[in-house]
Amino acid sequence: MRGKDAVKFFTVVAVIAILTFLAFNPKGTEIPNIGTIPSAYDIRQAADLKGGIDAVLAPKDKDGKTYAAKTEELKQAKSVIEHRLDAKGVMDRVVAVDQVKKRITVQIPLKKGTTIEDPGSTIDDLGKMALLTFREIDETKSATGPVVPVSGDPILEGKNVKSAKYQQNPQTGGHDVALVLDSEGTKKFAEATARLINKRIGIYMDEMLLSAPNVRVAITNGECVIEGQDSLEDAVRLAQDIQSGAMPFKLVAESTSSISPILGSNALSVGVTSGIVAFLLVCLFMLLFYRLPGILACVALLGHTVIQILFISWFNITMSLPGIAGLILSIGMGVDANVIIFERVKEELRNGKTLRSAIDLGFKRAFSAVLDSNITTLISAVVLLYFGTGPIKSFAYTLIVGVILNFLTAVTASRIMLKSVAGMNIAKHRWLYGVKGVKEQND
Amino acid sequence: MIDLYGKRFIFFGLSILIFIAGIIGYFVHGGFNLDIQFEGGAIVSLQMEDNKFDTEKAASEVSKAINKKVSAQKSEMTNPTTKEKIHMLVLNVAEKSQNLSSQEVSKTLDAIKKNFKVKKDTQPEIRNVSAFIGQELLGNAMKAAAIVCILIILYLWFRFRTMSGPSAGVFGVVGLLHDAAVMIAVYTIFNIPVNESFIAAILTILGYSMCDTIIIYDRIRENTKLMRKVPIAELVNKSIIQTLGRSINTVLTVLISIATVYGFAAYYDIASVKEFTFPLLVGIASGCYSSIFIASPLWVMWKQYKAKQPTVSNA
Repeated sequence: MRGKDAVKFFTVVAVIAILTFLAFNPKGTEIPNIGTIPSAYDIRQAADLKGGIDAVLAPKDKDGKTYAAKTEELKQAKSVIEHRLDAKGVMDRVVAVDQVKKRITVQIPLKKGTTIEDPGSTIDDLGKMALLTFREIDETKSATGPVVPVSGDPILEGKNVKSAKYQQNPQTGGHDVALVLDSEGTKKFAEATARLINKRIGIYMDEMLLSAPNVRVAITNGECVIEGQDSLEDAVRLAQDIQSGAMPFKLVAESTSSISPILGSNALSVGVTSGIVAFLLVCLFMLLFYRLPGILACVALLGHTVIQILFISWFNITMSLPGIAGLILSIGMGVDANVIIFERVKEELRNGKTLRSAIDLGFKRAFSAVLDSNITTLISAVVLLYFGTGPIKSFAYTLIVGVILNFLTAVTASRIMLKSVAGMNIAKHRWLYGVKGVKEQND
Repeated sequence: MIDLYGKRFIFFGLSILIFIAGIIGYFVHGGFNLDIQFEGGAIVSLQMEDNKFDTEKAASEVSKAINKKVSAQKSEMTNPTTKEKIHMLVLNVAEKSQNLSSQEVSKTLDAIKKNFKVKKDTQPEIRNVSAFIGQELLGNAMKAAAIVCILIILYLWFRFRTMSGPSAGVFGVVGLLHDAAVMIAVYTIFNIPVNESFIAAILTILGYSMCDTIIIYDRIRENTKLMRKVPIAELVNKSIIQTLGRSINTVLTVLISIATVYGFAAYYDIASVKEFTFPLLVGIASGCYSSIFIASPLWVMWKQYKAKQPTVSNA
C-alpha cells in the first residue's frame, strides 16, 4: 500500500469506527458546545415493544360541557391529532374514532424518561387540545390588566379556520400569518369585520390571548392576513398555534391507562439478535462469494447500518418490531450496489483485464445500473413520504436514508478501500477476487 | 446457452397458476382477512384479579367463542382515590359493524371467566372504534403506488431511450404489478391478516423489485451498442444470462437477512413479524423472477410485434 492510499484507507475505516462507537455508546456521546449525540439506546420504542399510553378523549365545548360532536368533526379532530403526531415523529400510534359514544381513542408509545405512572410529557405530544376562538375585545375594560377581556359570543371558532400559514409580506418584509376560513367562517367574519373596523379582534386559546390584531377593512372573501408579528419565530408559532387549534372542539382526557407491549418483553432482544445474525450471515455470504472485496463491503455495510441507526435516534423516530425488520431488510439491500459492482469487476477480470483496470472498469460500468436502481427506489420513497402518514412516513424516511447510504457506501467507501488495498502486493492474487484460471492480458 | 426466451410460456403459466391460487384463496377464505385496524371493531376492557394471565390464550379463547379476529393486551390503571392498581385485559375484536351484539359480549365474558380470574362484579367496558387505517390512508397508499408507477415509467423512458424507452418503462412496471399481485395472492392463500404491515410490505416490494429489472435493462442497453446485428430475442437472452450472477446474488443477500428475521420470529412465535416477513420473502423472490422471466420476455414479444407492423420503420 502506498502512503497516500494508506491514508485514504485508514480514514474511511476510522470514520466508520467512530460512527459505530457513537451508535452503540449506551449513554449517548456528549460533544461540548454542540450537545449530545443520541445512540441506539435512546431510540423511542414503539408501543408494541415497550407499551404505551391509552387515552380516551371526550369532546367538550368552551364551557367544559359535553359537546355533541358530529361524525365529520370527530374525523377532523382525528386528522389534526395525526398530523401533530407525524410532526413529532410518533409514527407508531392508534387514533380511532368511537362514533357511537363520540370519543377519540389515542394510543401512543411512552417517551423515554416517562413512565406509565407519570406519562406527563408523553401526553404532551398530542399538543394543545384547547378551543380556539376569535372574539371581540371590549375596549372599555382593556386598561385594567394584561389579559384583554372579551365581550359577546365568539366570532369564529377553530373549526372555521381551514389553514393558517406563515408568510413574508412582499412589500414591507414583515412577518405575517395568512388565514383561510371555511364558508361559514367567511360569512361570520365578513359581518364582524365590517362592524369592527379600527377595533381589535382577539384570538384566544381557551382564555389565553394569542394575538389581538386591528381590523383595517371588512374581510369578505374568507382570506385574511394578520400583519406585523415581531419576528419570524413569533409569526411561525402563531400560525402553528392557530393551525393546530383548528380543532372543532376542546378535547379532555377522560381516562388514561397504560397498555402492555403486545409482543411481550423478549420481542426486542429477539429483534436485535436476529439483526446481528442477519448482519453476520450477509457478511459471510459476501466473504465466500467475493472474498477480499467482500470483506471491504462488510466494513462499508457496517458504516451504512450504524449511520441508519444514528439517523433513527437523532430524528426521534419510534421503532416498532416491523421497523426493526425493515432495518434488517436494508442490511440485505445495503450490499446490493456492492454485489452489482463486484460481479462486474469479476467479469472484467475474467475477460483478462489487469486488476487495477478491472476495478476501475467495474466501478465505471456498473455505475449506471447502480444509479438507476437507486433512483427508482428513491422515487417510490419520496412519493411515499409525500402521501403517507404514520407508519408509511417512517418507513419512507428509513428507505430514503437507506438508499442514499447504499449509494454513498458502495460507490465511495468500498471503492476507496478497494483501490487502496489493491495496491498491495499481497492483495494482487486473483483468487482474492473470486477469479481463477484466466491469464492477464496486456491493457 | 439456455434459451430462456423460448421457454417463456412455461414461466408465464407458473405466474398465472399463482394468481389463480390467490383468487381461489380469496373465495375460500371469504375475502381478505382484515384486521381491526382496517375494519374497525370493538375494544373490550375487563378488570382482572391480577396481571398473571396469558394474552395469547385469552385472544384465542375469545376468538373461538365468537368466531371473530381477536387480539389481546394487558393494561394497567391506577384508581384515583385508593391509588390501587387495576389490572385489565383489553380485547381488540375486529367487526365491520363496529358493534358487538349483547350475545357476543356475554359469550366473550364467559370464555374469559372460564379460563381466567376476572374481578368480581365488574362490567366489561366496551369502546367501538372505526377503522384506524381509514379509507384515507389506504386511498393515499393507492395514489402513491400509481404515481410511483408513472414516475418510474418516465424515468426509465428517459434513461433507456436507446432501447426504445417507453416500452421498457411500461414492461418494467408490468413486472412490479406482477410482484404486487403475487404478494396479494400470498395474503389470500395463507389467510394472513391485512393490516399496516401489509401496506409496508407491498410498498417495500414496489421500491425494491425494480432493481433486478434495471440490472438486466442496463446490460441490454450496453449490449445494444456492442451487438448491432444480433436479433432482439437472442440479445435479451444473452443479457439475462450474463447478469444472472448479479441478479441472483443481490436477491440472495436480501433473502438471507429477511429469512433470518423470519426464522427468529417463527422460533419465538412472534406472529406480527412472521406475518410481515413471509410475504416479503415471497415478494423479493418474485421480484427477481419477474424481471428475468416476465418483464424481459414480454418486452421482447412487444418489440417483435412492433417490428412486424408495416407502419413502423425502425427496422
